[in-house]
Amino acid sequence: MIQDVTRLQERLGLLWVAIALFGAVLAGRLVQLQILDSEYYRLAAERNRTQIIYQTAPRGRIYDRNGVPMATNQPAFSLIFLPGKKGERRDLRPLAEQLGRELKKDPEELLETLQQAVREESALRLAENLPPQTMFRLSELKTIYPGVDLIVEARRLYPFKSAASHLLGYMGKMDPKSWRTLKAKGYRADSRIGRMGLEKTFEEELKGRDGGIRMEVDAQGRLKRILEKIPWEPGNNVHLTIDIAMQKAADEGLRASPTNKGAVVALDPRNGDILAIASAPAFDPNDILSFDPEVVRKTLSEIFEFNHAIAGTYPPGSTFKMIVGAAFLNEGKAAPDESVFCPGYYDTASRRFLCWEKKGHRHVSWIQGLTNSCDVYFYRMGLKAGGAAIERYARLFGLGQETKVALKGERRGHMFGPEARGKRGWWDGDTLNLSIGQGELLVTPIQMANVAAAFANRGILWRPHYTDRIVYSDRPEYKQRPEKIGEFALKPRTWELIDEAMQSVVSSGTGVAARIPGLIVAGKTGTAQNPLGDDHAWFISYARRPGEEAKVAVAVLVENGGHGSSVAGPIAKRVMMAAYGIEDKKPLPLPPLPGPAHPVPVLPGRAL
Amino acid sequence: MPQRVESGLKGRVDWAFVFAVVGLTLLGTIAVISGATPLPYHEGIFQRHFIALALGTVLFLFGLGFNYQIFEDQSRILYGFTVVLMISVLIIGSTQRGAKAWIHLGPISFQPAELARVCTILVLAAYLDRRARRITEFSTVAWTLAIAGPIVVLILKQPDLGSTLSFFPLILGMLFVAGAEPWHLFTVFGYGLVSAAIPVIFVWLQVRFPYAESGTIPYLLMQTARMGVGTVVAIGLFAALGVGAWKLATMMRMQAKAVYFVAVPAILSLGLLTGILVNRQLKGYQRNRVVAFVAPKADIQGASYNVNQSQIAIGSGGLVGKGLFSGTQGQLGFVPERHTDFIFSVVGEEMGFLGSAAVLGLYMLLLWRIISAARSARDRYGFLVCAGMASIFAFSLIFNVGMCVGLAPVAGIPLPLISYGGSSLVITLWALGIVGNIYARRYSLL
Repeated sequence: MIQDVTRLQERLGLLWVAIALFGAVLAGRLVQLQILDSEYYRLAAERNRTQIIYQTAPRGRIYDRNGVPMATNQPAFSLIFLPGKKGERRDLRPLAEQLGRELKKDPEELLETLQQAVREESALRLAENLPPQTMFRLSELKTIYPGVDLIVEARRLYPFKSAASHLLGYMGKMDPKSWRTLKAKGYRADSRIGRMGLEKTFEEELKGRDGGIRMEVDAQGRLKRILEKIPWEPGNNVHLTIDIAMQKAADEGLRASPTNKGAVVALDPRNGDILAIASAPAFDPNDILSFDPEVVRKTLSEIFEFNHAIAGTYPPGSTFKMIVGAAFLNEGKAAPDESVFCPGYYDTASRRFLCWEKKGHRHVSWIQGLTNSCDVYFYRMGLKAGGAAIERYARLFGLGQETKVALKGERRGHMFGPEARGKRGWWDGDTLNLSIGQGELLVTPIQMANVAAAFANRGILWRPHYTDRIVYSDRPEYKQRPEKIGEFALKPRTWELIDEAMQSVVSSGTGVAARIPGLIVAGKTGTAQNPLGDDHAWFISYARRPGEEAKVAVAVLVENGGHGSSVAGPIAKRVMMAAYGIEDKKPLPLPPLPGPAHPVPVLPGRAL
Repeated sequence: MPQRVESGLKGRVDWAFVFAVVGLTLLGTIAVISGATPLPYHEGIFQRHFIALALGTVLFLFGLGFNYQIFEDQSRILYGFTVVLMISVLIIGSTQRGAKAWIHLGPISFQPAELARVCTILVLAAYLDRRARRITEFSTVAWTLAIAGPIVVLILKQPDLGSTLSFFPLILGMLFVAGAEPWHLFTVFGYGLVSAAIPVIFVWLQVRFPYAESGTIPYLLMQTARMGVGTVVAIGLFAALGVGAWKLATMMRMQAKAVYFVAVPAILSLGLLTGILVNRQLKGYQRNRVVAFVAPKADIQGASYNVNQSQIAIGSGGLVGKGLFSGTQGQLGFVPERHTDFIFSVVGEEMGFLGSAAVLGLYMLLLWRIISAARSARDRYGFLVCAGMASIFAFSLIFNVGMCVGLAPVAGIPLPLISYGGSSLVITLWALGIVGNIYARRYSLL
């Protein structure tokens, strides 16, 4: 019996040892969880209870040269979703269906997104830039579905809609690939990023630092309280050399043109400031920020990103004639008063070359030749100057080379001349074609604007630039300095003769449509023959007040627009008037913008 | 004489034991209040908790003063009462959360399974005491299982997996401490363990090798799980291993009984067959719990959500905790069942390591005092009752805290004295009163 009792006590002892061992294991685990790894779990708990909804910082504003905002920000409501514990499809389905109706999205797709947010336990932005009516309807959802909420954010706004759309570009969503690289720079999956134009070029300057609201949420995703508001840092403001009045004139002029296709470039001949740069067809970058995915899709699919001003290449037509003039006048190949008889055509051994005026211009010298754009005069003078000289002068004026404007996609056109042609040979017929700006010669509107500016400033080719200055919040501002890409000297008399003739074009020739009372306007029309379709209408000009330097040089091109005198001239006139602040009495009959018909919702409120 | 017993009882009470009971009850009450506060129906919980606390205190004192030996004398009546009670639950009981486990008597409702467990200890202790001379016989083990069997089966019928599971450590612990042959225990509980382990292994394989067909060994194992050729092969393999081991043993001239080499493969085979059956019977949520245990990272939102959140709660408490009512994990609803099964997470989060160590320490103190009560019990019956109680409390502690810290699977086992639960609190306090009585009577001549 004694032995029995000892045995039982032993057994009891073993039971106690087992219990104590388990107790020690639990104690060890508690030490591990609560003391050694406590920080890890503290952060995990913190992540659990807090949700950050980021608030996009107001993007830096883009101003024109007079401080008028071209791209700014406005408060807008966004619908957010704070995922809770209930991530089952059946829990989320009613929400997805109702949201689908309100936001015009596919409920199934929404359901997927919502579920993903639950899986990743991260807050989600369901819709941005909600118009007031939708916002009020959606705010009722807050009471029905936990986790749905509305917040105020800064929304990009382009007050002038489609004006300078190709220059400003637009904001869009990132593609997943670029997000991977941008993540480190503080971008989130739902951040918007400049996808084109200056919004893209100055992304880093404009972006700013996003703020956020740190909220406490419960396991269902219900907002309990706001823990912290992290202030945003607005982006840096960019000041452009653009004059919005001129820009508007340019854009509206193109839109009212017969084809709504083409480009306008206006430069300051004194420093190369781009005063206006327009390409048509334009688009309204506001539409791409719409809450309605249908509008965004439609706008994006219709955007014509091709920038005619820098990437469109066209034969210069008659606007090239001043360069031909510069070649033979400056080289002394012909005197300005040397007269040529124009019967309406010019015969060579193999072929008859026509003047645009079939009746002929009779006796013409330099001034009349340019004023009436007599082709026969320039055939004859071109032959006197020779193809090589014309080519050399064309190169002096920057043709065949990029203007080096800081815009993506600039093309240099195509130089036409004995040197460019090389071994393939050069014939008089080619010289005749070159003399009237036809043949294989191709130029861009911005090159022609630079040509006009070079006639105005007598031989300086500026590198066109659109940035005036960037005002940083944390460092001294950046100021753009003018930069020359070329400079050449012609005889003063040559400049005078060309200026005189160009003035005569506007006062009494093909360019009368560009006449502006009170201003001295010098210009040249062009109707470039286009083997592929209707002629392109050109007009290049500059304007000055009597006794002053010219402060604007313009090139207008309307693709397939027909006659330079009737189509391109009036656009240039409006741009030059805007440059000098002259009111235009007759408003243009503007056709509606392409894209969605309904207006982009903009909430009333203080601009950010 | 009775006068002296009554007055002498006070002097013989184990005050360390009482301290542990009071301390745990106090911490438990605080944790229940904090854990239940975010719930919309918390007032009812508080009310029931305090009523149970009052009732439990009365029963504790009653148990402390009531001679435990009467339970041994009346063990047949007690057994009959327990079985009838458990049958009546299945007939007149009401269903809450999928288990028909509650009896309503007017305004009072209680879970008889708690009572049944304590009664089983009292009944088994009486039986084992009677069988003291034949304790090493296998029939003792078999009879013990046969006695507990009906009660276990009736509780499993409810179905209440957690309560059912707690009977096994109780039976095992009491048999072991009573002096049963370890080999017999190994046979019986080894079989049980294999049966239980098989579903866990299969679930682990499914999670670990979702494309089981791609690997030979996982494929064979999966085949085995489907009760087909693979199963026969596995049983044959076990038999061959047994024969081989026996041959080896005889070759090496070891003194080994042939019965072992028959028994081990037999246990393995039987366990395998039962395990396959259990695997088939597993309900979806039960399988998910197994998944959560074997692969906690597999499904953070689903099955392992509770365990994961509980660990975050405890870990984030740090040394001193976030303060009462300030635990974000508990108060914001990330930890589920925070006033019942996962109450230890509330303690760990809001009272930190100090609080959770206090609970663990008080529990170890309590267990130590129960073991001491057993050691100094005046008779074998008291000794066995205390051993059974120690087994129950140790099992609950290990599995509940183990679950909260991620070391044990989610089995739905509450932490006595800490978790909210009226029946549990009342019965636990009564059971501890019995232990106190056993200790108090240690030197009594009667």
